[in-house]
Amino acid sequence: MSHINPEFVEEIKKYGAEDFHLCFNCGNCTAICSQSTKDESFPREMVRYSTLGLEDDIKSSLKPWMCYYCGECSTDCPRQAHPGELMMSLRRWLTSKYDWTGLSGLLYKHLSAYIIGFLLVIVGLIVFAAKLDWNQEKIMHFGHLFEMLAIAGVFAIILLPNIFRMWLYTIVRPKVKATVKVYFKAFSELLVHMFTQKRFLECEKTRETQIRWFEHFILVLGYLSLLFTTVFLDWFSSKNIFVIWLGYLESVVIFVVTFIFIMNRINKKEANHKFSQASDWFFVIWLFLMGITAFAVRLFIDLNILESNFWLFMVHLTVLVQWAIIIVPFGKWTHFLYRSFAMYFEKIKELAMQIKK
Amino acid sequence: MKQRIGVYICHCGGNISDYVDVEQLGKLMAKEDGVIISKDVMFACSDANQKEMINDINEKQLDAIVVASCSPKLHTHTFRGVAERAGINQYNYTQVNVREQCSWAHSDKPMDATVKAYGLIRAGINRVSYSESLESMEITAQKAVAVIGAGVAGMRAAVDLARMGSHVYLIEKENDVGGKIATAGKLFMTGENGKEVIARLYQRIKQLPNITVFTSAELGKVSGSIGNFFIDVNVKNELLKLNVGSVLVTTGFDFYAPKEGEFGYQLSDKVFTLQNFNKLVESGNGKLIHNGKPVKSIAYIYCVGNRQSKGENKYCSRQCCTAAIHSSLNVHEKFEGVKAFHIYRDIRTYGKQELLYQESSRKGDIYIKFEEKEPPVVEIKDNKPFIKVKDYLTSKKELTLDADLVVLVTGMVARTDSSEISSKLKIPIGSDKFFNEIHPKLKPVETVIKGVYIGGACQGPKNITESVQSALSGAAKINAVLRKGSIALEPIVARVNSEACAWCNKCSAVCEYDAVKPIESNGKMIAEVNNATCTGCGICAPVCPANAIEIAQYTDNEIESMIDGFSATANIEQRELEHGAKVEGGKSGMKEYPEIWNHIVTSINGSALTIPEISEKTGIESNLITWHLMTMNKYSVVEPAGLNSDETYYKYKLKK
Repeated sequence: MSHINPEFVEEIKKYGAEDFHLCFNCGNCTAICSQSTKDESFPREMVRYSTLGLEDDIKSSLKPWMCYYCGECSTDCPRQAHPGELMMSLRRWLTSKYDWTGLSGLLYKHLSAYIIGFLLVIVGLIVFAAKLDWNQEKIMHFGHLFEMLAIAGVFAIILLPNIFRMWLYTIVRPKVKATVKVYFKAFSELLVHMFTQKRFLECEKTRETQIRWFEHFILVLGYLSLLFTTVFLDWFSSKNIFVIWLGYLESVVIFVVTFIFIMNRINKKEANHKFSQASDWFFVIWLFLMGITAFAVRLFIDLNILESNFWLFMVHLTVLVQWAIIIVPFGKWTHFLYRSFAMYFEKIKELAMQIKK
Repeated sequence: MKQRIGVYICHCGGNISDYVDVEQLGKLMAKEDGVIISKDVMFACSDANQKEMINDINEKQLDAIVVASCSPKLHTHTFRGVAERAGINQYNYTQVNVREQCSWAHSDKPMDATVKAYGLIRAGINRVSYSESLESMEITAQKAVAVIGAGVAGMRAAVDLARMGSHVYLIEKENDVGGKIATAGKLFMTGENGKEVIARLYQRIKQLPNITVFTSAELGKVSGSIGNFFIDVNVKNELLKLNVGSVLVTTGFDFYAPKEGEFGYQLSDKVFTLQNFNKLVESGNGKLIHNGKPVKSIAYIYCVGNRQSKGENKYCSRQCCTAAIHSSLNVHEKFEGVKAFHIYRDIRTYGKQELLYQESSRKGDIYIKFEEKEPPVVEIKDNKPFIKVKDYLTSKKELTLDADLVVLVTGMVARTDSSEISSKLKIPIGSDKFFNEIHPKLKPVETVIKGVYIGGACQGPKNITESVQSALSGAAKINAVLRKGSIALEPIVARVNSEACAWCNKCSAVCEYDAVKPIESNGKMIAEVNNATCTGCGICAPVCPANAIEIAQYTDNEIESMIDGFSATANIEQRELEHGAKVEGGKSGMKEYPEIWNHIVTSINGSALTIPEISEKTGIESNLITWHLMTMNKYSVVEPAGLNSDETYYKYKLKK
């Protein structure tokens, strides 16, 4: 038995949902959706749950993560209820529910929180740099050290507990009985989806989908490998010609692809680009800035002009810190993890059901 | 006896001639007794042919005509006109339907269609040869109308009737005119107030000198018939006698009154009917307050007392969905922050009313769908309603909700006094207890009683617009009948043979229209037919033990001759029809069974066989066997004889 909560509509609208309560349950969205199956059908069900405000049912569901927002449902909706945008908003809402700090929700709902966060980072960096007497070498060393610390810290303190909470909501509380063997058996699913976004290709099989998937795929690869190149191969200090060129290539991929993404959101041609929240803008713009500033920093190093233009490194460092401690743990970055884990948990559920039968 | 008959068989541009051998029939009919001229024509109804028919009648001195074409519904009046213009009586004409009943119905069997047409045309010729010349009857009609019930429908119809020149007596039971609308608030779509609508209508009525309004008036005895009804009206203990030409009944409806405990009704003051809730909304100012507490959420439960598949009121009341959503929108407009739950079965906001539904869902109203077999449950705990419902849009998930108020959206029911009105005016009542029209589409405001019309919601659930429209169409019908001051009635009525009649009362007892009454004639009681009320339905003729009553145009001579004509054997040659199907030759008669029956009968022959077995034995396709066997079963030629050994088929044997 679930209790109807009419206030939920307003709550989810703060996460970007449009007038989804215009839905008259025709089911066109579910019929058109290539990802929706007989057993796992959406988005109508999610629209219905959201209208009725059945928070627990949404919280325990993995379905919002099954959607890659091709926008077909929103295009074909006879009521302009934008089910696709609702699914997107539910992912934002779920992210804030998984987050134990509650900061995600704050950032999604209030643009001012983002801006204050970004400003605090700038102030902090200036104070910190002043403390290091603006010593370029020390600051660059710090930058490298920060990356490692940030990765470890954000993972240990924020992301891992959040994934644990996601597991709690979607597996433990709905009483999915899965053996350890099942967890091992399904594990490949996590890696495959994390690095390939294979399911994305199951959206409507058109050239546009393939292009979108490819852009997204090389962006993920570029991003992860640039992270590796800067942190473990120490790109900025490397003398290895191969490492240097690899870093260039990766940063070019990042800023070119994100530039395309930004233009898509500005042009608003496809249904999935019509509505952009602050979190969407920050995500693509900051990724773009990271790529282009990293590229420029290395270029300045190679041209031997960084010392006289140290402001550039400061800009890069600012973008990097804002990214690492705001966008990665509390912003849109987390979909990289939650979506892959959703596929993993979904597989676990499926296997557990098979065993039960 | 008519001895100079003209027969015209229509091709209908191929509609008939593609399947019925019209040309051959034309030649065959020329040989029939009394037929002077027989033709097949491309379009019988065309101007050219009509002129040719008039020519033929005048030249060949014809005294009767038969047209074999389409349904009499279509062209009876056309060809009666032809007869009249040619100077013969319009009732010396018979229409034979060889399109709907032959070519269209039997397009798969052109030979049989032709044989059937042959029989029907012969029947027509025989009938017309016995036809009599009849004159339509004129009766004088009072140019006055009694409109019963001064609700919005009755008032509006009264205005139109008066403007078209009739005197109108508007009879209202209550103290005030206006009915249900007079107490209603804001109305969809104009946003006008119900009181204003009624006030404006009443103003118009007062300006028309030929409307007399009686309030606190009750309908008394009614007698007479179309053109001259005599109506008693009791107005405040004073008896008035009115003489009117026609009656328009616009008595309206009642709202369904929920039973005690039905969705918590009367168990708590927080459970309202929609009508009472609207009054609460009307009276609220700035804030919606009930019992001193602000109302934050409202649950509307739909279809209360309606669409009960097992209960009394099986029908849908059409207007309640719109009324409930309209109320909800009024609440949103007047008060802020009130949540609405609509617990419905189907939303039927047809036409422009859909805009209300859209607006309401845009405002965030929550719609929850239930089915009759699992209705919502309203529990009252500490005078607080608590609702449980299975939502059919969320795979029957059991949902609970708190609502400060529960509003029961009740449907319409027939008025409790409608049976009284019905017995006075003899309007039949349907299974839904509303008044019955003759046909919902073809004669929607006419009743079986000539001159008595129904309009508005007394006939069945309607919204205001529909009520007024139906009452106005009743007004238009009445005006068409009364405007000339006299009414021409079809002479197809019952006639009594005064010598044979001995007044046994049997005809009067079966007459639905109260048209037969006894009178004294030559020292004995005989039956007399009121021509104005008789519809020529014919029910009296077969019950008369002395065969003393008959219907004009349907006399025994005519009917018997038709049977003779129809059952004659046809000699039709096999011919290739020009554009249509092939007519196979051979002799065939209407009374013969299909050939296939013989095969089936010989194959069964004393044993019991299944359909596949018969099919195998006769070599005829099994589905063809199935169709024929089912018909043979219906006509008691064969009967089922249990299942076969593996229980896959029924066996059939011959019926003794």
